[in-house]
Amino acid sequence: MTNRSLPRLLQAPAVLLLLVWMLVPLSITLYFSFIRYVLNSLRKPEWTKPALSNWRGFGNYEFVLNNKDFILAIQNSLLIVCSILILTVIFGVLIAVLINKTFMGRGVVRVLLISPFFVMPAVNAVLWINMILDPVLGLQGLAVAGINEVIDGLRNLPILGGFFSMWPELEPISFRATQTSAYAVITMVTWQWTPFAVLIFMTSLQSEDQQQKEAAVLDGAGTWSQFRFLTLPHLARPIAIVVMIQAIFHLSLYAEIEIVSRGNGNKNLPYLIGEFANNNIGAASATGIFAVILANIVAIFLLRMIGKTLMD
Amino acid sequence: MAIVSTNSNISRYGRPVLAWGVALLFFFPIFWMVLTSFKTDADAVKPEFLIWFTPTLDNYLNLTENYDYWRFATNSVITSVCATLFTLVVGIPAAYAMAFNPSRATKDILMWMLSTKMLPAAAVLYPMIFLAKGIGLYDTHILVITVVSLINLPIAIWMLFTYFKEIPKDIIEAGKMDGVSTWGEVKEILIPLAWGGIASTALLIFIFCWNEAYWTVRLTTIDAATLSKLIEGNRAPEGLFFGRLSAVSTAAVGPIVVLGWFCQKQLVQGLTFGAVK
Repeated sequence: MTNRSLPRLLQAPAVLLLLVWMLVPLSITLYFSFIRYVLNSLRKPEWTKPALSNWRGFGNYEFVLNNKDFILAIQNSLLIVCSILILTVIFGVLIAVLINKTFMGRGVVRVLLISPFFVMPAVNAVLWINMILDPVLGLQGLAVAGINEVIDGLRNLPILGGFFSMWPELEPISFRATQTSAYAVITMVTWQWTPFAVLIFMTSLQSEDQQQKEAAVLDGAGTWSQFRFLTLPHLARPIAIVVMIQAIFHLSLYAEIEIVSRGNGNKNLPYLIGEFANNNIGAASATGIFAVILANIVAIFLLRMIGKTLMD
Repeated sequence: MAIVSTNSNISRYGRPVLAWGVALLFFFPIFWMVLTSFKTDADAVKPEFLIWFTPTLDNYLNLTENYDYWRFATNSVITSVCATLFTLVVGIPAAYAMAFNPSRATKDILMWMLSTKMLPAAAVLYPMIFLAKGIGLYDTHILVITVVSLINLPIAIWMLFTYFKEIPKDIIEAGKMDGVSTWGEVKEILIPLAWGGIASTALLIFIFCWNEAYWTVRLTTIDAATLSKLIEGNRAPEGLFFGRLSAVSTAAVGPIVVLGWFCQKQLVQGLTFGAVK
């Protein structure tokens, strides 16, 4: 009997803690999502305390579904997560293949490449949006101003000047503006997570069957078909891992969006919840339940996919 | 070899050049941040001082004055160290039990644990604040440490599980035959064998704790606020303070980036969850 109960006893703290961690806040969220609950209301002060007498049924859900930001937030969540996943996997595979062979300074290249992964998200966002992407004072602004100056100089050339004067002045892009801020977020997160993909793919490539590759070369297989038919299938599992871990992290992306645009035109689901929660806790909770449902849909797909490969 | 030699010129020179180019491109933003941290706030936004400037240490010497850096850094250290330890204390026994006495439910439990990681933090943020304020734990180390441990626990258990699974069971069985107690089993056999795995799990969890930016920002005001909160609260608009902002950012990520450099290899192995050898 002790043989059976000891393992259970050892798992109990972890399981119980996670169960409490998941169930308690989630039940409260569920409860709040069915009542009227706001932080400030002069007209209806009774709504500022959570109570069953403020029952609203599915009213909060209706309110959220009719809010035009909601669909935008879901679209934005998916746009950001999918773009990051695709970009990091493509860059990751290419760079991993590139540095898979030994060359001068490969160790240093690895160290330089991995560094962005350790930068905290808040610093990542502050660094990119201010010092690099700022349209006036950042490197982007300085570069655009510099190019404009050069073109301006060329306009005064005797013969070619006429050609250059047809060129328009370059306009720097403001990444704090509504449509572009999502691209800034995608850029900075891709910068941070590509190294992670590179490292995992590189580890995997080192176990690639070299004899099989040599045989393929003898059979006249070109570089492309080697890559397509040997390397890529070999990378299937690590790609699945990279996709899963990143999906876990990026579905709850927040700091970057907050710092880049304060959600201006670029809200994802977590950000929208935060915005509702400034006053309307009921609506925030209902949005939270939608977010849980979305995360579960993604989770079922991913965990099914990964589950099998991990256990054997 | 003769067949490969046709493109040997490209692979001899092209590959290293391209690889170095990509590496420098990826490292550039960090380099730029460190470089800017040695400029004065005024110089940092002037094109003429882009690369050639008089370096100054003022931004670093004034970290305390400008940002109260050490208070936040101390909180980050306290939170990360305690949360990592707590995660390991809870995670090691669980992973041990799952790896050495797997039952039919083990796989499902592991999957469920990972799925808690997918629970959107924002969905449960307000109830957490509500509870925390209710029991008077808002903006305390205990709360932040507990929350940060719990969000990292699933990943820690997964990593430890994959490491423990690699340890041959025969060794443990042999220990049992010789009459070693369970505690002796753990101390004499398991820990020495799993040391590498435990160390890299601890490192990765430490890094995740240090960089955590959702709960640490939203569950604290001053007393338990970490470096993430400091940076998020001080993003200077309009570039008035690029110099000092770079210095405090560098000071916030420096320790972790250097730590990561030394342990990159071990980290990767753990993060692949054993699916990549």
